[in-house]
Amino acid sequence: MLRRLERLRSWEGILLVLLIGIVIFNASTTPHYLLFQNQINLFQLHIEKIIIALIMAFIIINAEIDISVGSVMALAGCVMGYFFEKGVPFGLCVLAGLLTGALTGAFNGFMVAYVRMTSLIVTLSGLIGYRGLAHVLLENRSVGNFPEWFDRLGQKPLIGPFPFALIVFFILLIIALIILQRSGAGRYVFVIGNNSEVARYSGVNVRRVKMTLFIVSGIVAAFAGLLLTARLGSIRGDIGIGTELEVITMVLLGGVSIFGGTGSLYGVLLSILIILNLRNGMGLLNVPGENQTGVIGALLILSVLGPNIGRGVSEAWSRRHVQRTRVGEEEKGG
Amino acid sequence: MFKKLMMLAVISMLLLSACAPAAPKPEELKMVFLPKFLGNAVFDEAHAGALAAAKELGVTAELQFLAPATGGEGAKQVEIITNATTQGVNAIMLSNNAGDQVAPAAKAARDAGITFVTWDSPIPSAEGEQVFVAQVDFSETGKVMADMARNILGDDGGKFAVLSAGPDSANQNAWIDALKETLKDPAYSNLELLDVVYGNDETEKSTQEALALVDKYPEMELIMAPTTVGIAAAAKAMQDEGLCDKVKVSGLGLPAEMVSFVKNGCSPEFALWSFYDLGYLTYYLTYRLATGEIQAVDGAQFESGKMGTFTITADPTRPDVPGALRVLMGPFSQYNASNIDAAVNP
Repeated sequence: MLRRLERLRSWEGILLVLLIGIVIFNASTTPHYLLFQNQINLFQLHIEKIIIALIMAFIIINAEIDISVGSVMALAGCVMGYFFEKGVPFGLCVLAGLLTGALTGAFNGFMVAYVRMTSLIVTLSGLIGYRGLAHVLLENRSVGNFPEWFDRLGQKPLIGPFPFALIVFFILLIIALIILQRSGAGRYVFVIGNNSEVARYSGVNVRRVKMTLFIVSGIVAAFAGLLLTARLGSIRGDIGIGTELEVITMVLLGGVSIFGGTGSLYGVLLSILIILNLRNGMGLLNVPGENQTGVIGALLILSVLGPNIGRGVSEAWSRRHVQRTRVGEEEKGG
Repeated sequence: MFKKLMMLAVISMLLLSACAPAAPKPEELKMVFLPKFLGNAVFDEAHAGALAAAKELGVTAELQFLAPATGGEGAKQVEIITNATTQGVNAIMLSNNAGDQVAPAAKAARDAGITFVTWDSPIPSAEGEQVFVAQVDFSETGKVMADMARNILGDDGGKFAVLSAGPDSANQNAWIDALKETLKDPAYSNLELLDVVYGNDETEKSTQEALALVDKYPEMELIMAPTTVGIAAAAKAMQDEGLCDKVKVSGLGLPAEMVSFVKNGCSPEFALWSFYDLGYLTYYLTYRLATGEIQAVDGAQFESGKMGTFTITADPTRPDVPGALRVLMGPFSQYNASNIDAAVNP
């Protein structure tokens, strides 16, 4: 346990050094980087993803995954747009969008926690199915001209220079930090992620925890979908494609183990800042799109290998060791 | 924390310097040329045209050529527009690949005093867009395709199929509708459209769809592909399968990609507008607007180098969008064995 903590701490240390390096590089190469408006834009351009990354950290630490988030974003937005087109009062449309997220999340959670299907399979079908539904609702049309307050919420600052979504992100970050790092519920998330059988026999209500996580994930994804709709001023069936991969990337780079049980939100926050600042810096330096993808890709490979390579090697080592001992014992027995 | 401290330390200084952007000299205009995505030959041609115009106009500031890496990332154009606005560029030239989703970013750019022109593909709501430079009149595309089909199939006509881009591609759908409309004319009664299939502008899928058409319709004599990816894929498939004597390929293609198929008879004739000219004209218009020589209003005329004089008009293809303006480039260029070499090596 102590060693694991140490390794994590050092991974976060590496992330922090990387972040500082990127910030210094950006600040020294492009004069617009440190502009206050740019610092806001840097978050705002990817705000939906980083909000979803918070709940995704919970889910992956819980040894599950939710790759349907991008499609839930689109479906929630399309449900809202569909009802808005039909003349339903806008407040109800927003509510319907959020409810869509809760329902998809409840379905995912039910299939995982009660039917005991693998979350990768369940949410993969969600990834395809929810996106399909979104396209059925709006076909290839885009719906826009939402009430002005909605567009303004997505596009203009709310308090001082800070837009609504950014404020929400920081509030959710604090709530997530308290729950995951300091509360009993947070400990359950880790315990289940480490070994759900052990957790169950110790009296943890594994099903309820998983169900709750997936419902929250659905609601958060739907909320993010509505935020994106407000930011872009219109909704189409194809928004948010590929969000799941970028979000999972942020979480894994933050040192959360894809096998569950390990990780911290501090690491995820650092990785979010790294990816946002890297993207922003490259954008302001007019780095061509392919090269940006290449740099982010390289970072991802590192991120997946970095935190996991140590574990992989040590596991392989111990397996070999066990095999050898067994062979030795059999030889003795024979 | 470190970031915050550094931010605070430098921010006031920078805010001061960013406050009053002086009107730039014409030769120092910073412009961004933003196509739908990178790695497509037609957008590289448009870029070359824009660079030529920049040279003629004596603009020495580097023209930024920025775009998402692939066609599936249309929404990333929003990020590029926002970053360009942060950088305080003077003008943005966009081939829109994200529908109305770019409108808020485009409006923000306009609010920051940036000249905003679209080309190839407009912002449907025209919000944030000053003028759209249209390549051709979309309704003309249908007649051009029908005429090419008649030229290739001969006076006795024949049966053909359409291999399009994606089922949701707005341009292609409009052109196919225009083609169907044209075919209703008795003059084209001996042409029969068998089917419309979609290759999603992917070479592999387009090839499969083209070969599937051959299997499905033995009587088919022509594949009409209104997309540069589809026409090249179909022509190559017919060539590789030795089917060129039986099934010809035509549509909208890029001369450089089609030259060998014209020469070996697989694709005797095809059409396209010049993307080089489109980039050239777009740059001239944007320059005139950014320098304040003309205003983006109905009836404004401007001179566009070797291409002559053009007029800004209300956009007839967006009648329900008040204030939508366009410049129509036109016309089509049709290519066959007689002129393909000149088109490839000007």
